[in-house]
Amino acid sequence: MSERQEGATAPSGPVRRELADHERRAAFEEEALPHLDSLYSAALRYTRDRTEAEDLVQDAFARAYASYHQYEPGTNLRAWLHRVLHTTYISQWRKAQRRPQEVAADQPSGDGEADDGEFSLFDRVAASTSRPAEAEVLEHLTDQEVQEALHSLPESFRTAVYLADVEGFRYAEIAEIMGTPVGTVMSRLHRGRQRLQRALWEYARRRGLLAEAPPDEADDAHAGAPTPDRAGTAQEQVRHG
Amino acid sequence: MDDPCDEVLVEIERYLDGECTAEAAAVVRAHLEDCSPCVDRADFQRHVRALLAKRCQEPAPAHLVARVRERLQ
Repeated sequence: MSERQEGATAPSGPVRRELADHERRAAFEEEALPHLDSLYSAALRYTRDRTEAEDLVQDAFARAYASYHQYEPGTNLRAWLHRVLHTTYISQWRKAQRRPQEVAADQPSGDGEADDGEFSLFDRVAASTSRPAEAEVLEHLTDQEVQEALHSLPESFRTAVYLADVEGFRYAEIAEIMGTPVGTVMSRLHRGRQRLQRALWEYARRRGLLAEAPPDEADDAHAGAPTPDRAGTAQEQVRHG
Repeated sequence: MDDPCDEVLVEIERYLDGECTAEAAAVVRAHLEDCSPCVDRADFQRHVRALLAKRCQEPAPAHLVARVRERLQ
């Protein structure tokens, strides 16, 4: 490809044009398709709907294939594919779905302010169970409850938490995928995880997994918690942090 | 909760993400070696993450692979 310099008139076509179409396609199938499950799971978190998730994944893969020449070999392909998925979702899907209530979620004065205080699910659960088995309580939540808890987060928080905790991406990769500075990723992650813990706690409480602790025990376990609470006032505190 | 714990708890999220500096990681690690309440908290955070990872992944349906393939040309 370096033999003929076509300068400014060169088509901005794929660098990998030298590969025959079938080779290019085979390479893409071999390298990218193994990440289908990962992209589908993410698409489910974006769209919250199986049919839409399937459509989104198909669009994203078609788009990824069309711009596969832009992928830099040796870099993380899964992260690159997630970036394409995220871009596809933002540019085509979210517009169509129109979810304006989620747009301003991580603006400083957005809806998040009221319930963004520090929250320790650990303390809440510890105060409500008599055994040292805080983590066990969560095991009783169903898949659907955990997914709904995640879905209850504003979109940008949900995406950051999903990419970090489920997909295991680094901060820098998440920043790349979401097109935001690393600092924003860290703040979304922190706030998102806090909110997720609140939501999980709410589900656990509603399901009766957190028995109301006797007052003395609760006070004891709350030594390090910001606001002691009783089950009766818990709802109020979730709302106002 | 006294100060060393507070400091560690601020850093623990990044520590668990494997994103804090080597220096900060060493401080956290040293603290965790002899503070079991903080170990419990760290374990709990790990557990929440693992829970999320376990419950929020789903294999793509078989027909989706075929459909994605069809659209590659």
